Amino acid sequence: MKTTIKQLYRVLFAGIAILLCWSGAVSAASGDAQKAHRLYQDNCGSCHGADHGGYLAPALNAEALKGRSATALRTVIMVGSFDTLMPPFYGRLTDDDIRLLGEHIQKTPKLPNPQWRIEDMKASLKVYVKDESKLPAEPAYPIDSMDDLIGVAARGKYGRGNGSEAIFIDSKSHRQVGKVPTVTAAHIIDFNPVNPRWAYVKTDTAEIYKVDLYSMQAVRSIKTGFNGPGMGVSRDGRYIMAGSFVPHVAVILDADTLEPLKTFQLEGVDPDGNMVSSDSGMVIGTPFADIFAIALENAGQVWIVDLQEGFPVTKIKNVGRHLHDAFLTHGGRKLMVASYDDSIVAAIDLEQRKLIKKLPAGCVPHVGGGAAVVVDGRTLGFGTNFGTCDKTVVSVWDLDKMELVRQVPVSGGTESPAAHANAPYVAVDIISKDRRARTIQLIDKKTLEVAKTLDVGGHAYFPEYSADGRYLYVSAGYNGDEVVVYDSTSLKKVASIPMESPAGIFSRGRVKYMTRGLSPDAMQE
Amino acid sequence: MKLSTDALLIGIAVLLAGNVQAASPYAGKTKAAAVCAQCHGMRMPATEAPFPFLGGRDVQYLRLALRQYRDKTRLSPIMNNIAGSLSDRDIDDITAYYSGLKP
Repeated sequence: MKTTIKQLYRVLFAGIAILLCWSGAVSAASGDAQKAHRLYQDNCGSCHGADHGGYLAPALNAEALKGRSATALRTVIMVGSFDTLMPPFYGRLTDDDIRLLGEHIQKTPKLPNPQWRIEDMKASLKVYVKDESKLPAEPAYPIDSMDDLIGVAARGKYGRGNGSEAIFIDSKSHRQVGKVPTVTAAHIIDFNPVNPRWAYVKTDTAEIYKVDLYSMQAVRSIKTGFNGPGMGVSRDGRYIMAGSFVPHVAVILDADTLEPLKTFQLEGVDPDGNMVSSDSGMVIGTPFADIFAIALENAGQVWIVDLQEGFPVTKIKNVGRHLHDAFLTHGGRKLMVASYDDSIVAAIDLEQRKLIKKLPAGCVPHVGGGAAVVVDGRTLGFGTNFGTCDKTVVSVWDLDKMELVRQVPVSGGTESPAAHANAPYVAVDIISKDRRARTIQLIDKKTLEVAKTLDVGGHAYFPEYSADGRYLYVSAGYNGDEVVVYDSTSLKKVASIPMESPAGIFSRGRVKYMTRGLSPDAMQE
Repeated sequence: MKLSTDALLIGIAVLLAGNVQAASPYAGKTKAAAVCAQCHGMRMPATEAPFPFLGGRDVQYLRLALRQYRDKTRLSPIMNNIAGSLSDRDIDDITAYYSGLKP
């Protein structure tokens, strides 16, 4: 009997020991998984997608990385990837963490679209300046006109942290007049068309900051989703609309308080008849009416939201396959929407609320902010293209007749055009990943031929003219760490403004001329 | 004949001079963009990066350090690899570029 009890104890102890070991192992494993998840969200998620589905950078999930060598993945994490935004994590993360991350991305499936409801947005609202009436009544720095301000999204090499800022420059003196830290990389900067003191900065991780340009500080912020660049401001400056890739939601905010007023589930029947949930493409306000237009990327629809009680939606279907960005024509009455997969730009009449024409574009059109300029009485629109098929062109359309005028051969893929009524050239950024990425090409407005190629250095992109059209600003990108300024007629370099990994450049003049290249008069037409 | 010999000598002298010309910060900038800037930046490393500053540092120090990394008399797995492919000329150009920057 004694032995039996002893044996029983022994069995019991052994059992407990096994249980302890087992739960220890389980918690170690789940601890690792949690740590890997956190590492991913803190270092990779803002570019590669919080859902592992990709965003600015490729998807990192079990499916996408199937068959990839673990060593090669670790090497890329360690040393970064040349001529991309991918920075080196050697010395920033430990070898063990890099190994853990490599394993994590190879075994994690693309996560389901996470929820981010209006309550979550409300809870994320942060107030940095409680009493806005105490803010200075005028800019705290010398500047002739607030339209001379140019905002630059300085991403910071790691897309987050102390290097990530929205930087503001006086485009007459080319001096930096302010910088606003954004925690994660700034992506889009919009300006309030009515009150020149407010700007809105949207980050890679879908926070929107309301920025006081007079004192150069953020006064409020709200998280509108997990990522997606879409943001627009209404013509009366009262509303902001923002759309996300993750989750498939758009929201209208009060531009003053940033409080969310209504959310929209982005889904619909695509041109091939499938009901799909959809990323948000461009979101745009127009001086033409109290509306927002939003492109549903995957559903191929453009929705028009009236800024009145209940925010009713008119849906325009079958616009194109995989819509992305867009620009307004003169008067802001028509919207030119890029459709990636069928290589067209679709013209939408915002008054009649219908698709009026599909115009040929190059392959994978990406119009950026677009450009439209009056040449010899015709209003010409310019469209850039990501893709590099057999020919790389910039498409030029007559925006009154809605027809293709010419496809101008350029040296590579392009993603953003800039024009100005007072500047002789339309600038496009060549983004093909070799020496060409250093360059900007300039198309003569009259001859519609490339007149000159500027070697900016780095990875040159996002050209933008100053509000008076005298200067051309270009980001030298992640490999250049400067914004370079040229005289827009002589094309001589006049200034360099150092900053970390500059990307999008946004002139406050845009609120005046609406689409880059149009004169302010075009808004009254 | 005398004239052409002179011309030949002058030509050779010019060629030789070409071979010993000073380090070029312009060539160095291009090389730095391709080899160094990913970590050390074109001017300075990223705010969030753990890599040392190169801009504005003493040219002799930079040159010595790069040669030691290349020749593996100073050990660092990453730097030995990266500097391993550099010629003396590359090192002179790159260090002329970085040392000439304002810190």
